[in-house]
Amino acid sequence: MEKGYSITTKPIYGTLIWQKKATHHVVVVGGEGGGKALLKLFQQMVPKQPVSVFYLAEDDASKKYVSTVEDMSGESITVCDSLEALTTSLKTELTNCYMGTQFYVAGEEKLIWPVAKVLTEYGVDDRNIFKEQTGSLARRVFCVHCETINEDVHHNIHQCVNCGLNLFVRDHFSRHWGAYMGFMVDGETPGEIPPAQEVYP
Amino acid sequence: MSALKVKVTAVEQVAEQIKHFTMVAEDGSPLPYFSGGSHVVVSMDIDGRTHRNAYSLMGPTNDNSAYQIAVRKQEKSRGGSVFMHEKVEPGTLLEISMPTNLFSIHRLAKKHILVAGGIGITPFLSQITDLNRLGHDYELHYAYRSAEHAAFRKEIEALCGDKAFFYPENETGRLNITELLSKQPLGSHVYVCGPDPMVNGLELIASELGWPETSVHSEKFLAPATGAPFTVSLLQSNTEVVVPGDLSMLEAMEEAGIDAPYLCRGGACGRCEVEVVECDGDLVHHDEYLSDAERVAANKILPCVSRANCSRMVINL
Amino acid sequence: MNMAFNEETFRGDFTFRNSPESVRRFPYPFEEDEYMYSVNIEQHTSGEPGSVFEHPIDVDEHYVAECKERAIVLSEDHTRCVALPHMMDAQWDTLELVMTSLSESYPSEFQLTIDGDKWHWVNKPLDIEDHFVFGDVSTLPMEPFEYVMRQVQGDWVIMDQRDDDLYADMGMVTGQADWSVAFDAGMSFKEWHAPVPHAPEMGIFDRALKYLLHLQYGSPVRRTNWRMCVNPRLDTSSETYDVWGTDNVSATKENAGDKVFLRVELQALFRLPRSNAIAFSIRTYMVSLADLATYPRWAKRLNRVLRSLHPDLAEYKGLNSFKQPVLDWLEPLDDGAFLEKGVHPE
Repeated sequence: MEKGYSITTKPIYGTLIWQKKATHHVVVVGGEGGGKALLKLFQQMVPKQPVSVFYLAEDDASKKYVSTVEDMSGESITVCDSLEALTTSLKTELTNCYMGTQFYVAGEEKLIWPVAKVLTEYGVDDRNIFKEQTGSLARRVFCVHCETINEDVHHNIHQCVNCGLNLFVRDHFSRHWGAYMGFMVDGETPGEIPPAQEVYP
Repeated sequence: MSALKVKVTAVEQVAEQIKHFTMVAEDGSPLPYFSGGSHVVVSMDIDGRTHRNAYSLMGPTNDNSAYQIAVRKQEKSRGGSVFMHEKVEPGTLLEISMPTNLFSIHRLAKKHILVAGGIGITPFLSQITDLNRLGHDYELHYAYRSAEHAAFRKEIEALCGDKAFFYPENETGRLNITELLSKQPLGSHVYVCGPDPMVNGLELIASELGWPETSVHSEKFLAPATGAPFTVSLLQSNTEVVVPGDLSMLEAMEEAGIDAPYLCRGGACGRCEVEVVECDGDLVHHDEYLSDAERVAANKILPCVSRANCSRMVINL
Repeated sequence: MNMAFNEETFRGDFTFRNSPESVRRFPYPFEEDEYMYSVNIEQHTSGEPGSVFEHPIDVDEHYVAECKERAIVLSEDHTRCVALPHMMDAQWDTLELVMTSLSESYPSEFQLTIDGDKWHWVNKPLDIEDHFVFGDVSTLPMEPFEYVMRQVQGDWVIMDQRDDDLYADMGMVTGQADWSVAFDAGMSFKEWHAPVPHAPEMGIFDRALKYLLHLQYGSPVRRTNWRMCVNPRLDTSSETYDVWGTDNVSATKENAGDKVFLRVELQALFRLPRSNAIAFSIRTYMVSLADLATYPRWAKRLNRVLRSLHPDLAEYKGLNSFKQPVLDWLEPLDDGAFLEKGVHPE
C-alpha cells in the first residue's frame, strides 16, 4: 500500500459531538458500542433542543446502558430489537422532523449505512448525519460480479455467498449501497488465491 | 465565449423603475433552450466602451422563440441599467452570451422555498415554469417596497396560484425569515435573490437554525467595485493595462483588446481566476469564490470584481 | 457519402479489424516520449476533416458492430444502464444532442425531421425508423436515454450538477475499462475517480471539477485518456473480470503484435440545456501494436512512454501483467532516433 495515499470514498468516522446549530437532535445507536457512544454524548452535555433517541439492542447485553442514559438525559429512549423495527420507528419520527435537525449514528457499519440510507431518502443531507463506528470493524461487501451484498466480512479476501467467486475487499466505498467493492482476486490466475487476513475484526 | 445576436422586439415599463425586455434571434432562428434560473450576459456599447451585465431569463423554459429579461434602473450604477432603460427600444440589436445557470433548482429537493426581494423575482419566474412542469412542491415568497414596485404580480398569480405569498413592505411589513425557515420539512431547499442585506440575513438565519450550506442557494450579482487606479502587467501577452477607478480589471483588459476568460462577471463562478505573480500592494478581494486560504496567500485574483491597492500587479495571462 | 460498416466481434473469436484509414485516424495520445497524467482539456471544436475530431460525435466503420455488441451486453446484464428518477429532463436532452449531432454530421446515414414536438428519426445503418413526441416517453419503445444510447458508439455518463459538484446519476456503460456503473451510480465526481492512485492526481480532479462546473452550453470540451488491453474486447468491466482477467496473462513476445491493443478514450463533455446536466462521452478506439507499427514513430514513442512510465500509473492502467511481452515486441522497432513533439503518424 502506497504511503500517504487514502482513497477518498472510504468513510472516515469521528466521535459524535453535539452540533451547536440545531433545532432538534435525532440519535440512533446500536449494540454495546453504540450504547457507550450514547453515554459519551450525554456526558458532553444535555442539549437545550429536543432530543430523540433510538437504540437497536438485539440482545440483553446491549440494553445495559438504556436506563442509565435515560436517567442522565431525562429523555426516554425508543428501544428496538431488530433493524426492521428500528427503521419503522425512525421513519415515523422523520415525518415529524424539520430542517435544522441534526442526526447522529453510532454502531457498526451494518447499522450506520442502512440508517444513513433511510435518512437520505427522507431528504436529510449527508452533511447533517454524523457517524461514529463502534464495536466490530466488519465490512459490508458488494460483489461487483453478481451484485450481492455480503454482510459481516472480517477478512480482506472473502468468498461471495452468492456466486462463489473469491473477492478482494477494496477500499472503494459506495454510500448508495453502503458497502465496499468486492472484486475477483484471481481473475488473471484462476485458483491462485492469496491467504486471507483478518483485517476487519 | 460564444455569443448570440438578438433583436429587441418589445420594451414595457412594468413597475416603478423596472422595464421588461423581450428579444428574439436576429436571424429569426430558435434560441437555445435553457434551465430555470439561467441568466445571459448582455453586451452594451456605452460611450465607445463595452459594458456587460448579467440578467436572469424570466420566460418559460420551454419557449425557444424569445428571451425575456427585466432590468431595474439604478441611477448610481456604472451605467448598464441606465443604458438599458434609456437607449434600448424595439429594434435595438444586442449581443448576449449563451444562457448559463448558476442558480439552478436542486433536483433532489423535497420542497423548494423561493424568496425574492424586489427585482430579485426574475430568476424565479423561469424556475417556476420548471417546478410546475416537474410537479415539485414549492412556495414563492415575494417581498417588495409597495404595490408600485411589484413587478409581474399578475403573472406570478397566474403561474403559482396559492403557492405565492406577497409582502408589500408598506402593508404587511417585512417577511419573517426565521418563521419561514423554522418548520420546513426535511429535504427542503431555500433559494434567495434580492438585495445584499436580505440575502446575507437569510443565509445567517438558515445557518443558525442548522440548515446545511448546500440547502441554501443565493443569486446576488455583485457589481464590480470601484477604487483607485493601478496598472496590471500581463506576463504572457507582454502587455501593460491601466485599470481606471471606474472599470473592473476584467473590463480594463477587455478594453485593451485582451481576450480574458470570464463567465458570470459577478465574482461567483471562478472562471476568470488568474494567478498573481507579483503585486507591490494589497489585493482587495470582492469575490465569493476563493477560499480564505487562497485570499491570504494572495496569489490568485478574480479580475471581474476584485482590485488592488497598489501601483503595479503582474498576472499570469 | 455512404459509409461502409464492418461485421466483426469484440468477444469470442475477436474478428475486430481496423482498415488502414481507421488506423491512420487513430487518436494517438502521446505527444512526447514521457507521459504524465494531466487535465489536458481543450475546446471540442471541429478538427481536421476525416479525423476523429471532425464531428462532435464520431461514427466510424465499427458503428454497427459496436451497437450489436452493446445489445449483447445489455441482454446479459441490464444493470449497465442506469437512470435515476430525477434525470428525465437529462434523458431528453441527451436524445436531442445525439440525434441532432448525428443527423447534421452524417446526413446520408441519419435523418431527423422535427415538426414542433413531433420528431421523425431514421437510422439507416441500424435500419431503425421511429416517429415520436419529444417529451412523451409513451411514444418511444423504451426510455429516451436507453433508446438513443443503443444507437451511438461509446460509453456515456450524464452528471447532475448540484452542491457544487457533479453526480453520475445516469449512464450507459458497456465498453469500459475496469469500473462499474452499477457500483458507482450516484457518486460524485471525486468519488468515482477515487480509485485513481497517487495523491498529486487528486489535485488534478479538483481543478477539473471547478472547470467543468462552468462548462457552457455551446462550448463542449474534450480530452484523451489511454490504456492497453489484450484482445480487442470492449467489455472489460469490473463485472465481467472473471471472463477477461485471463486475457491479461495471455500475451507473449510472439503474439503481442496482433493481440495487444493500444486503447484510447476520446472523452467529450457537453452542457445540456434543459437539465443543466453534463453529458460525458467516452469513446474507445483500439489499434493493435502491429497496426500501430505501420507508423514507425508511433511504435517508437510508445516504447519510450512505456519504459519511462511511473510504476503507480502502470499498475493503475492494468499494464503490469503484459508489459514485458509488449516491451519485448516493441524494442526492435526503436532505433533511438530523436522524435519531435506531436501525435502525427508521419
